[in-house]
Order: sequence, then C-alpha cells, then structure tokens
Amino acid sequence: MFKLIVFIIFSAWAVISSLGVVLFSNPVYVILWLLSALISIAGIFFVAGAELVGAIQLIIYAVAIAVFYIFVLTAVPWEKALKKDSHYRVEGVIAFPFIILLYIEMFIVFTLGVMASPKKQLKLFIERIGNAEVVGSILFSKYFIAFEIVSLVLLMGMIGAVLIGRKESQTYDGDTS
Amino acid sequence: MTAIPLEAFLTVSGLIFGIGMFGLIVRRNLITLLMSLELCLNAVNIAFVGADAHLGLVEGQIFALFIIALAAVEAAVGLGIIIAIFRYRKVESSDEVRDMRG
Repeated sequence: MFKLIVFIIFSAWAVISSLGVVLFSNPVYVILWLLSALISIAGIFFVAGAELVGAIQLIIYAVAIAVFYIFVLTAVPWEKALKKDSHYRVEGVIAFPFIILLYIEMFIVFTLGVMASPKKQLKLFIERIGNAEVVGSILFSKYFIAFEIVSLVLLMGMIGAVLIGRKESQTYDGDTS
Repeated sequence: MTAIPLEAFLTVSGLIFGIGMFGLIVRRNLITLLMSLELCLNAVNIAFVGADAHLGLVEGQIFALFIIALAAVEAAVGLGIIIAIFRYRKVESSDEVRDMRG
C-alpha cells in the first residue's frame, strides 16, 4: 500500500512535469520542467525495484544530458525564439484528435497484452541476491554483444557530433583558385 | 505490502508518451522539440521497467539501459545538428528549416 502511494505521487509529479515541458514557452523553464520529469521518473524506477536503472537515470539523464541541453541553450541566441510564438497552435488543435486516437489504440493494445501470463522465474533469485547484481550478470553474459555494440554506437555518435558541430576552419564558397 | 499493478505503469507510460508526442507536433523551437523526444524515450523506459516488475525478469531493465545510452547519443548528435543549423542558417524555429541546401 505504501509502495502504491509513493508510485502515485511520483506518477502525478511526472505527468505534471511532462505537461510543463510541452506547454511552457521559455526554453529555460522547459529544461527545468524536463529535469523535474526525469527525477520523478527515476523515482518511479526506484519504486518499481529497478535500482540500477534509477541510479543511471539520475546520473546520466538528470545530470549529463540536462547539463548538455543547458550548454547548448546558452550557446544559442534564443531571444529571437521568444519573439515568435513558441507553439504551432493550429497544428496542435488539428493533431489533438490524433493523440486521443493514439491513446485509444495504446489502451486496446495494452488490454490485449496484459493477458500474457507472468512467469516470475527470476523473482526469488532477484530477491535473494539483489537487483543490480542480477542485471549486471545478465548484461555481461547474455547481452554482452549488444552491450559492445551500444558502446560502438556511443563512439560513432561522439565522432559524428564532433564532426557536425565543429567550426569550419576554412570555407570553400568563394574559393576559385 | 501489495505490488503495484502493471496497468498503473502502462497508464503512466502511455500518458507521458502521448504528451511527448504532442510536444513533438506542436513545438516550434528545435531544442524543446528534442526535449519532447526525451520524454517519449523515458515513457518507453517506464513501460519496460514496469513490465519487468510484473514479470519478475531483468531483460527490460537491460533494454532500458540501452535506451538511456542511445538517448545520450541522440542528444549529442541532435544538438550538434542544431548548432550546425544555427551556425549556417541563423534560424532556430523548425518551420524555417525547409530546405536541405541552397
């Protein structure tokens, strides 16, 4: 019962923060709402018993990625964006029925999927030796190749971001020689 | 101590995913558009972790870790592209980026 109450608190916080992310117009307020949403989602992970994912959510998302967004936000002159309207209002009104349709479709899929039978085959194992150990042992044995490929994707993304975002030392526009 | 039902996780996940999708449609600023995308990815993570807590497995948490790593890559590359757009075109709203080149 206590768990459920904490879960409901974190979920309400997450949904309200998500609405703040979508609805506020100033980008600095939006990044603060996103930070609040990420922290509340980490709380949901902790309540669900996924300590490792919650900790990584706090460390990587709520610290690294949020700080990265703030850096880009300060590197960019966003005063011009404040003059214009921050939302597409007509498109929003048009797209709203489709979002409702998406909700209905997700509801149908979820109610079909909930009927799948739970196995609980690792439940006792997890309760005996803890969540983080089980996640680590399965991650580094069964999903080891996927883990290595993700690290390769991280390397490629880093190189690509440096290549895209770097300042060109020379331009070839007027180069006729 | 009663466990949290799976439907609660899926409801929260669906709500946040829909809100993030709506933000992807209505947002004009490119950076806030990427933030809405982060919301969508987090909603998927909630669904994975909730299904894990229901089924008593850990595979969903492993895939949640993969999703977090790929979200970091996506943020890096996406923000790099946005900075490149700012540098070359001096625009920051998504309806001004109509053409690829020229």
